Amino acid sequence: MRTVLCLTLWLFSLPLLADELPLFQPVKRPAIPSVKGTVRTPVDAFILQRLESQGLSHAPQADRATLLRRLSFDLTGLPPTLAEQQAFIHDPRPDAYERLVERLLQSPAFGERWALFWLDLVRYAESDGFNQDALRPNAHRYRDWVIRAWNADLPYRDFVRWQIAGDELAPTNPDALIATGYLRLYPDEYNAAQLEQRHQEILDDLTDTTGFAFLGLTLACARCHDHKYDPISQKDYYRLQSFFAAFYPTEVELTPAVARDQWLQKTAAIRAEMEQLVAVKKQTEAQKGLDRFHAGIQAIVHKDPALRTPYEQQIAYLANKQIEGYRENAAARLPAADKKKYEQLQAKLAALGPEPRPEMAMAARDVGPLAPPTYRLIGGDWRKPSRSLITPAFPEALGGGKAHVVARPNSTGRRAALAEWLTQETHPLTARVFVNRVWQQLTGVGIVATPNDFGVQGSPPTHPELLDWLAADHMAHDWSLKHTIRQIVLSATYQQVSATASVPEVDVANKLYWRMNRRRLEGETLRDAMLALAGNLNRRAFGPSAQPELQPELTRYVWKPDAAEWDRNRRSIYVLARRNLRYPLFEAFDQPDLCTSCAKRLSTTTAPQALALLNGKFSKMQARAWAARLAEASPPQQIEQAYRMVWGRAPDRAEIELAERFLNKWSLEDLCHALLNTNEFIYLE
Amino acid sequence: MIERRAFLAQGLGGLALASLLHQDSQAAAPPRLHHTPTAKSVIWIFIDGGPSHIDLFDPKPTLTKLAGQPLPDSFPRPVTAMGLTAHSPLLASKRTFKQHGASGAWMSDWLPQTAKCVDDLAFLKGCVADGLNHVGSVCQMNTGSILAGRPCLGAWTLYGLGSVTRDLPGFVVLCDYPDDPPGGGRNWGTGFMPATYQGTRFRAGKTPILDLAGDDPAQRDKLDLIAALNRRHLAPRRDDSDLAARIEAYELAYRMQAAAPEAVDLRKETSRMQQLYGLDDKATERMGRACLMARRLVERGVRFVQIYCGAGSKWDAHANVEANHAKLCRESDRPVAALLTDLKARGLLDQTLVVWGGEFGRTPMSESGNGRDHNPWGFTMWLAGGGIQGGVSYGQTDELGLYTVAGKTHVHDIHATILYTLGLDHKRLTYLHDGREERLTINGGKVIAAILKRPPSEAAEHGA
Repeated sequence: MRTVLCLTLWLFSLPLLADELPLFQPVKRPAIPSVKGTVRTPVDAFILQRLESQGLSHAPQADRATLLRRLSFDLTGLPPTLAEQQAFIHDPRPDAYERLVERLLQSPAFGERWALFWLDLVRYAESDGFNQDALRPNAHRYRDWVIRAWNADLPYRDFVRWQIAGDELAPTNPDALIATGYLRLYPDEYNAAQLEQRHQEILDDLTDTTGFAFLGLTLACARCHDHKYDPISQKDYYRLQSFFAAFYPTEVELTPAVARDQWLQKTAAIRAEMEQLVAVKKQTEAQKGLDRFHAGIQAIVHKDPALRTPYEQQIAYLANKQIEGYRENAAARLPAADKKKYEQLQAKLAALGPEPRPEMAMAARDVGPLAPPTYRLIGGDWRKPSRSLITPAFPEALGGGKAHVVARPNSTGRRAALAEWLTQETHPLTARVFVNRVWQQLTGVGIVATPNDFGVQGSPPTHPELLDWLAADHMAHDWSLKHTIRQIVLSATYQQVSATASVPEVDVANKLYWRMNRRRLEGETLRDAMLALAGNLNRRAFGPSAQPELQPELTRYVWKPDAAEWDRNRRSIYVLARRNLRYPLFEAFDQPDLCTSCAKRLSTTTAPQALALLNGKFSKMQARAWAARLAEASPPQQIEQAYRMVWGRAPDRAEIELAERFLNKWSLEDLCHALLNTNEFIYLE
Repeated sequence: MIERRAFLAQGLGGLALASLLHQDSQAAAPPRLHHTPTAKSVIWIFIDGGPSHIDLFDPKPTLTKLAGQPLPDSFPRPVTAMGLTAHSPLLASKRTFKQHGASGAWMSDWLPQTAKCVDDLAFLKGCVADGLNHVGSVCQMNTGSILAGRPCLGAWTLYGLGSVTRDLPGFVVLCDYPDDPPGGGRNWGTGFMPATYQGTRFRAGKTPILDLAGDDPAQRDKLDLIAALNRRHLAPRRDDSDLAARIEAYELAYRMQAAAPEAVDLRKETSRMQQLYGLDDKATERMGRACLMARRLVERGVRFVQIYCGAGSKWDAHANVEANHAKLCRESDRPVAALLTDLKARGLLDQTLVVWGGEFGRTPMSESGNGRDHNPWGFTMWLAGGGIQGGVSYGQTDELGLYTVAGKTHVHDIHATILYTLGLDHKRLTYLHDGREERLTINGGKVIAAILKRPPSEAAEHGA
């Protein structure tokens, strides 16, 4: 009954919706309106047009101290140092602000800052989730690629294309192959027994996340029924899914192992002995693994790989991964005497040095040139495929049309076709959705306030012409992220104060941008800022993740902290992202769950956040180190410098007196600790 | 319709109102009470790993008769979690079942203490769920969906009703063992809702809440300095309620440091009470602590307490169900019965809904010879207190205990019923997310009227 109603509603409303949804039409660059107020970039003209129509204007420009702190956190995620404050506040050059923007955009910290929102969107993590939450030791290469891509200002067009189909579009470019790691980020239960279901869940997850991250559309509803609100039909959903139908995980060798042959040679005898000891057990264990599956899957595993259908190859991959796990466990299950012998050999082997391993990346490819069939699944149930075969095509409401798919020798070419379509300049959503995210990063709210829902149920854009102009301007400037950031941060709109004496009744929520929005720093940024103040921030970039100290109650379950404090103190973007238990400070400050796409973080205010900063060992340690740094200055200067460092501005007389009174009784370290808990530190003006 | 604010202010005085306003300032205004509630708090004893209904509540003489044979051909063969179980021989229960109480409810000899409380319990014997594995199924039992990312029942409860206590989190999670249930904190997370509504996991030992120990002699002065600086910061920014809320959050944190240790200090209880819950016995001590703590928290206004019993999938008896369940029943039977009788003696059972159940039941087919596989197609849960009609049984599995054949109760129905006792209509308790009015029951759910003292037709006098 419900479905029938939905369907009727949809059929009835489709022609109307598709026509009336301006966001589903190709981007046209609007003319820049003429306005009375100050226009620093065209952004201001669009903002002022609406403000002035309501009899409003921009708030005053913020002072330099505020602008420096705002820009430093927005572009690098780090607070400005005292030296940086001195340099900018006293810079007499007329283009001091522009120079500052350029300096920050060229900082290696820029990519580290801007990777965070993207990793939220693609639910990046370094573990599987589900029960086992097995670690993914090579996942960080994708994270590192995102950081490098933003730093190099890789055109967003290529940023999208490589993630969807780097292997098909740029097969010789290692970066493009690493980028396909995007397709591997799904939460996984590798030891599931029902592999057909697991396989379908992976495809669903890929389709949904691609809908969220690149199209800004909530597609998941259409998996089970025609989309109640948007003109995305269930058929559209499975058409999109068919682009991923041939998906096949692969590990790509980036750099070969060094001196592996020598190692193999000198360890050959020991390894042979070990293998002999464990060979029979390996077979019985593998059989155990195989026995878990139903007869159909067992038959696929037994089948000659050359004779398997593409779908059977995919299922065999999932099955063999598990069987391999059983095989690897064989040594642990040897009878006691053999096990002891085995362990002795293991120790001998270890004494000959670690096995040289190549650098690998988690990547994706197709199972072959032929794709397994895709069917529309009734109610989204993998056991209920409808009869007609689905072929790759684009959603009707977004222009529709069959995909022009050109098969490669080992690949279907389907994902390449999807990537080409997504990055056409006529695509109505890709650029709009992206510039909207950039706007949200810099102002706190998107022009479309529901960044993952550009559909009928999402919020309509507050400034549709500005959105279109930003999108057109972005594409015209080679899809450059840094260019779009410049257009926004150089605007008068961005440079407004956020604290104003009065609030206009017509726009209490500041939808028109008559001032800047105040934003709370993320847990990741708070941690980085505390480390930076303390002089403890280890700027080592890239590579395997840091494992910082945890509350003693957690150590047993999450990770073993790195032995050296310096190794723990890397930027938060490099902290191990585990799905089943996140770093507590991040979690307390609304880090998303790492399992589903997050386009906008929550900004909650809870007592556990206060407890974390007030009683947590981390903030106390940083306060101590920070106080030790300050101790070099004379006592009156200590207070002044502390305020400047933590708030990015000079304190007034009353603030100094409050600190002095506190210091009569307590230490500088205590003062620093208190300052790390103040709202002016936690929020960005 | 009753204004939830008015209801709470009447029922609980100014304290509640203050805390409610505090809650309101933290997040979007939640919806209102939809009808007169019969429960104020919930304690869900989550039987982690999947208890065997066939060995506890749902005796099957036919299973005993057919033991050792394969599943009869008249039964469709399910796809089981471990794959081959559908073809394994049937395993009879070794338990002795007896009828108990005036209601004559069946209960096996593994739960002698709970058996004394059966006239307070309403059994749901036709429960069904959608997942096959632990993480998805535990997730669904908490959030309605087998895939992570949605708010859990406790979060929906806080969102709908706010918190009563000013000094403690409104939603607390306890575990008997130090292990996480499958999926960990996501099971008490808020998915797309503000984190304000999340469960706070208490831990065993001296630090029930992370970073709770405020042993800093400078703390009060620090808090005063922070507050002074924050108030100066707020002065030109009065229109920003977040800033004010954070000032208040520091005070709540401060109060929690004082209130939480007292709330979880079980030494404050008489030795008779400690004995009742089994704190004097190594086997029952873990679960006894959790149950006694749950009662103390509910007394102090905590809205939703979840106790993971056998935390870390301990009830997952793929092999040797006899040894596994005998141990866990021994550990939990006395504490659970103590909780029921204690709540009743204090007059709290009338306003506290107690739920007992895990993510699924177990199969009549054997696994590894003497174990049982996961069974999401038919299993038992029970509810008590908080407006539940005691001594009734609803739903039925087939003669082997494999599939539900009558009174099918889906996870969404259980959720709808729990929300109902709290005065919330699961169809109207919605939260706008990514363009959809989301609800706990997604697009299903019906209230199980048969187990309510005041089923919807009568109880919904204030409903729309």
